[in-house]
Amino acid sequence: MTYLALDVILTGYLWMIMSKFNEKTLENLKKLCRIDCTPEEDKDILHSLGRVLEYVELLKEVDTTGVASCNYVLQSMLKNLMREDEIKDLLPREQFLSNAPDQIGGMIRVPPVIKGS
Amino acid sequence: MKKLPYELWEPVVGLEIHVQLNTKSKLFSSAPNRFGDEPNTNISVVCTGQPGALPVLNKEAVKKAVQFGLAVKANVALFSKFDRKSYFYPDSPRNFQITQFERPIVTGGSVTTFVEGELKTFQINRAHLEDDAGMLKHFTNFAGVDYNRAGAPLIEIVSEPCIHSPKEASAYASAIRAIMLYLNASDGNMEEGSLRIDANISVRPKGSTELRPRVEIKNMNSFSFLEMAVESEMKRQVALYLDNPHRTPEELIPPGTYRWDIETKSALFMRAKENSDDYRYFPEPDLAPIVLSQEYVDDIRNTLPELPHDRYNRYVSDLNLSPYSAALLIQEKELCDYFEAAMKHSLNPRQLCNWITIEFTGRLKERGQTLISHKIPPLHVAKLVHMIDNNVITGRIAKQVADDMVASPELDPETIIQQNPDYRPLSEIAEIEPIVDQILAANPQSIADYKAGREKALAFLVGQVMKLTRGKASPAVVNELILKKI
Amino acid sequence: MTNLHHLSAVELNKAFVQGDVTALQIAEYFLKRIENHNQQLGAFLSILGPRMILKAERLDLKRSQNKPLGKLAGVPVAIKDNMHIAGEITSCASKFLKNYRAPFDATAIRLLEQEDALITGKTNLDEFAMGSSNENSAYFNAHNPWDLECTPGGSSGGSAAAVAARLSLIGTGSDTGGSIRQPAGFCGIVGYKPTYGRVSRYGLVAFASSLDQIGPFATTVADVALTMEVIGRHCPHDSTSLDLPAESYSLNTTLADVKIGVPYRFLENLKPEARANFENNLHVLKSLGAKILNIDLDILKYSIAVYYILATAEASTNLARFDGIRYGIREKEAKTLDEIYEFSRKEGFGREVKKRIMLGTYVLSAGFQDAFYKKAQKVRTLVIDAFEAAFAECDAIAMPVAPSGAFPLQSINDPLEMYLQDIFTIPANLAGLPAISVPSGFDSRQMPLGLQLVGPQLCDVPLIQYAHAFEQATQFTRKIPPLFKGSAS
Repeated sequence: MTYLALDVILTGYLWMIMSKFNEKTLENLKKLCRIDCTPEEDKDILHSLGRVLEYVELLKEVDTTGVASCNYVLQSMLKNLMREDEIKDLLPREQFLSNAPDQIGGMIRVPPVIKGS
Repeated sequence: MKKLPYELWEPVVGLEIHVQLNTKSKLFSSAPNRFGDEPNTNISVVCTGQPGALPVLNKEAVKKAVQFGLAVKANVALFSKFDRKSYFYPDSPRNFQITQFERPIVTGGSVTTFVEGELKTFQINRAHLEDDAGMLKHFTNFAGVDYNRAGAPLIEIVSEPCIHSPKEASAYASAIRAIMLYLNASDGNMEEGSLRIDANISVRPKGSTELRPRVEIKNMNSFSFLEMAVESEMKRQVALYLDNPHRTPEELIPPGTYRWDIETKSALFMRAKENSDDYRYFPEPDLAPIVLSQEYVDDIRNTLPELPHDRYNRYVSDLNLSPYSAALLIQEKELCDYFEAAMKHSLNPRQLCNWITIEFTGRLKERGQTLISHKIPPLHVAKLVHMIDNNVITGRIAKQVADDMVASPELDPETIIQQNPDYRPLSEIAEIEPIVDQILAANPQSIADYKAGREKALAFLVGQVMKLTRGKASPAVVNELILKKI
Repeated sequence: MTNLHHLSAVELNKAFVQGDVTALQIAEYFLKRIENHNQQLGAFLSILGPRMILKAERLDLKRSQNKPLGKLAGVPVAIKDNMHIAGEITSCASKFLKNYRAPFDATAIRLLEQEDALITGKTNLDEFAMGSSNENSAYFNAHNPWDLECTPGGSSGGSAAAVAARLSLIGTGSDTGGSIRQPAGFCGIVGYKPTYGRVSRYGLVAFASSLDQIGPFATTVADVALTMEVIGRHCPHDSTSLDLPAESYSLNTTLADVKIGVPYRFLENLKPEARANFENNLHVLKSLGAKILNIDLDILKYSIAVYYILATAEASTNLARFDGIRYGIREKEAKTLDEIYEFSRKEGFGREVKKRIMLGTYVLSAGFQDAFYKKAQKVRTLVIDAFEAAFAECDAIAMPVAPSGAFPLQSINDPLEMYLQDIFTIPANLAGLPAISVPSGFDSRQMPLGLQLVGPQLCDVPLIQYAHAFEQATQFTRKIPPLFKGSAS
């Protein structure tokens, strides 16, 4: 077994243990991204996501040993783009609050929250 | 209550210190970086997470982070980048924080400082830039969100778990704070939240090198709270271990996060680590990486201001201050700078230090002020010390002059002395002699007592003269005169 | 003054500058067309009539005072409703933002108005730009002007339909996986996705940050070039914006000495009609002097998998800000904080958006990130490398823009089949490459087909030159959909 094949096999193993996308996974996922759904939506989403996840398994056949992650699509991005430490482009409070669903005393109002939770 | 053998155990503490940098604008938003204004008046589209808004990095924040890295002799990464850290909370404008997870700008480094008189070195693991969250203000029936602080530039400094006592914890944190002040990178104002400390605390039997499960206590904003928290948490954990010798550490100390509560002065449970968010860190696609040249870093190194420990060394070796005084002086940068300014007009650093850190600071503390806030010019304090040195006034008179200076901060001590005849020294023998004669004549028994060998009698006589001269006479001179006469 | 809508943007601008027509006349003319046709077309979500009239009056005043006029003076432009016009609603075709008023102008919009463009309105799209048929709009469908039963494509379906039906002469779109190019192909117009970073994303509601680009729709390549001169500029509010001077786009009619690469093996499953059209296109290119050669882009068969991992991952975080707290809808029934989040996002987001957010969250989550997100990032590098190797041998790459012409609305229900629509367009987004779709003929249903040309990073100018040469030789762009050819009555 060469090192080249190791990467493919390792990823394949990971895929095996993870390919079970089920109701429980969906419930956890909904909590994580804070979205509620109707039971009908649950069914549709479960089916669709299952299909897509099955499809993307295709990637495990690609040998990516020694390949770097693409974090920046353009090489020309690999340099600084910073700005001067200046105050400008303020958002006036009235404008900010004009889109707010609920406000009080200049603040966005939300239900009481347990401190620090 | 049973007394437990705490001394056989030691706490293992790692501190994460969040310091707000004192840039004019925020880290990724050009809104003002200011505390205390009306809610939601220091905001932009970026720091309120408006759709379509994009982050742009503040170069001054990068500079301050580099300065910090160099000040603690850490490795400054020439290539570092940002990551998104996802979690939902109303004070987060985007429900993700932009931080540096994988490649921080600073790694390693150390801080050397005194802990109860002993010099110790603490290792730093890393330091990175990230943006602060807004503030949630709690009321009875609702909470209000203010985004003024959202997006403020933070540097998070993570220590190695190399702290082993409450005093070490506060000494380390205090030293970090001093460095930030000396770099002029932060105002270090803990009441306003410019510096916040999270502690990760576990315990182990002294002498062992194991690392047992730990607990996190968040958001401490004073050194005394930090010490209290470390102390009480250590005791709690030790008690658990000793009371349950057959349970495993993992069972007894489940990972959890506590919040330091100012009212009850105790740590309140927030959440168990199991329920904590999966942060799903991944590289921030809206930002370029931070790419620094060696030239840039060297330039910053060459222009670093004097750091606390360097200043300490200078005070001890060049100015001959005692290690204790020097260590005390460097803690508060504002006061220390005041001392530096006064030193320009003084030749007696030790006395100057004493008058600044003890005499004046003590008096002003009662008024809730400092030499700086009360606007007493450094030159005036220097002059006062000068006059004591030259015997223009006695030490005792100087204290009264100091009181007057505090009452009227704009007044020059020379003026004060000129205006008040009681302050002018009586050193002329001619002035003192008649008073000495008067006292000696009135106290023959004391003279006899002294001659019989009672030293106290002399002191009594000197005291009587001092009383009559209202302290203006030089005690040394009075002493000499009396001895001559009897 | 007849049939202003038969003119290109360049021609109309000239007519205005010369004084043949006033800006007010132009505005009233196109607003009438929109009023007459939008019901059947579903192209616009909001029509900015009064605003356009006001701008037109000001423009006429400017001209009468002999002040210098902008490059797009008098040209009606439609804006995809995921880009901000300050003070106007940016809905992103979502219930979530139905009342959200933009607090600032998108840079691209600001630049367009600086050059005196006349904005007609905000156009329909797939919700949050997630889709390939405009069927995911929370409001109503958009329709293809060539056949109202068919999709105009997506996600920028509204802008494509508006320009093809000549309700505006220029449209803006955003392209993350083909959302400009595919609708352009389906609607028989030109659609351009610039090099990543060429046009500022400031004011574009983000879908996938490392893939999104704003670009123009127009009826001619020359109009696209003109628009790019206006919006292809560095923007200090966008850290991914190219820090390069604006380009000036000259136009060529020959392809002599130009090498066009074709990934034959990647295209081997093309259906007969698409294949026939594509072969024809290659003949045209050859007749203009281009040399056609085979290139290896086999890695592109993984593009869709890579895209649906990376784009959804980025989108899941970009859309986290829609939480009912600071803006957008907040469910009235919500009593606790968690309920605000969950109910608002439940009500505010459509099905496809929910699916993509969940998929994106999943591929980033603990235990799965390595196998999904990180793996996809690595394959993305391989895609970029493959293009780089190909461009060592050729100046541009030719491919069809889509597997077929526009499909009927509601004819594709399998999510995967829908995603596979983007097979030819996604690669250019993954590699940050400029890519253009030019009308290339019609299928047996008389529905438009498009030719896609893809260039190396930063080579926007030459790519547009090649497209212009092809366009001039084929003249498909001057064809107007029969239903919309006549003037507004």
